[in-house]
Amino acid sequence: MSLSKNIRALSLLLLLVPFFVQARVAVAAEEGEQLDTVGHTADGFYLDFAPFGSIELPRIFLARGEDGGLRLDAYSSTAAALRSGEYAIVHTADEQTELVTDEAVIEEMIAHHSHLYSSIAPLAGEIVVDFSITRHLVFGVLAALLVLLIFIPLGRRYRTPEARKSAPHGIFQNMFEAAVIFVRDEIARPNIGEKYERFLPFLLTAFFFVLFSNILGLVPYAGAATSNLSVTLVLAAFTFILGQVYASKDHWKHIFWPPGVPFAVKFILIPVEFIGLFTKHAALAIRLFANMMAGSLVILSLIGLIFTFNHLFGGGVASGVAPVSIAMTLFISIVKLLVAFIQAYVFTMLSALFIGMAVAEHHDHEGAEPHDSQDHHNFSPALTMDGQTSQFEVAETHGEPVLAG
Amino acid sequence: MEATALAWLGAGLGAGLVALGAGLGIGRLAGPAMEGSARQPEAAGDIRTSMIIAAALIEGVALFGLAICFLLAIK
Repeated sequence: MSLSKNIRALSLLLLLVPFFVQARVAVAAEEGEQLDTVGHTADGFYLDFAPFGSIELPRIFLARGEDGGLRLDAYSSTAAALRSGEYAIVHTADEQTELVTDEAVIEEMIAHHSHLYSSIAPLAGEIVVDFSITRHLVFGVLAALLVLLIFIPLGRRYRTPEARKSAPHGIFQNMFEAAVIFVRDEIARPNIGEKYERFLPFLLTAFFFVLFSNILGLVPYAGAATSNLSVTLVLAAFTFILGQVYASKDHWKHIFWPPGVPFAVKFILIPVEFIGLFTKHAALAIRLFANMMAGSLVILSLIGLIFTFNHLFGGGVASGVAPVSIAMTLFISIVKLLVAFIQAYVFTMLSALFIGMAVAEHHDHEGAEPHDSQDHHNFSPALTMDGQTSQFEVAETHGEPVLAG
Repeated sequence: MEATALAWLGAGLGAGLVALGAGLGIGRLAGPAMEGSARQPEAAGDIRTSMIIAAALIEGVALFGLAICFLLAIK
């Protein structure tokens, strides 16, 4: 079968997908059942594979006992933690919190899966740190494993000097070498300058981890680790620490004694610059987090429209709204794919920019100078009309010896 | 009016204003970007890259506002 026929068949199949989804959602709306779209976007203690069931994730607690000693409790699931008799569900009613210890009530909650949505607490003592494995942790580790799985074999191919001099072969190597060279030449070198090689491992890791994590958010049944504020804050913290550890003296001088401003203004500018250092990196984290979270929430709102219409106007109107809603969801999903790539690029570029600003050593801050990444030879003829076109003269003087000899 | 109702009202109005701000900001940068690409097609690649970076930064600011609206709506 030719490629165009394959593409046509695939696009026909894709066009049919909205109708399958619409059928299920419309039926659910008519029956008045709850479609849990929020549960999949937020973090949780279970992995949901919708028609097939769900897997509960292990709970790990660092708890302090009544005698003041610390202990590490590990359970294979929330249900196991509740059934062990040492943990109970916290029930808040009218600002009164009590522990539900009745086994029958707990078993009923487990049967209805509502035990995963409430917090649990130990019967004796308190939880110091909750190390439980959550959905975002699982998918973050999965993204990290994917990065390792792809780049360790890729790095091995460049081990011998002969391999480094020859052209890459194969789709796999070519694709990722193109991406790595893109990060090096378009992101690292223009923004950091001569010292870019030291920061290239971090920038590459950040770029590919964020990219794979964002794309995992689009896969059905999987989620994006970067839609968790903690993950993005840690990534921004890495950028911050790298920049400050390798900062030049000029960096601190420019923050605490800005040059080129009138004396009185300096005292207003110093706190602004200092706080700006932190807000720039916090903005880095929040930008990535909000972009990832917003994509999921827009889809939630669009599908929730069907249920709202069902509640307000009944099943017939809801079935009519469903195709429009699903079509918009499809469009937003495509936008989410674009946003996944763009946000990975913007995160890495701004990280490189901040590191470059901190590491820069020149007294005259000229910003990012394009060193040799631009071709200076294609000036338009108007610019070199001063009678001498130097490049042609060079070519002629080089040409003569060859002809004479 | 109770605090919850005011919070929800604030969240809704805020989200609308955020969308307005983001749309205006990115629209103002997309127009001249198109004109520049039309005037000088060789520079279209550079213009497109700069446009995407600026759009992502503007969208970042818009999403800060959105995050605050969410905090209002949830609390």
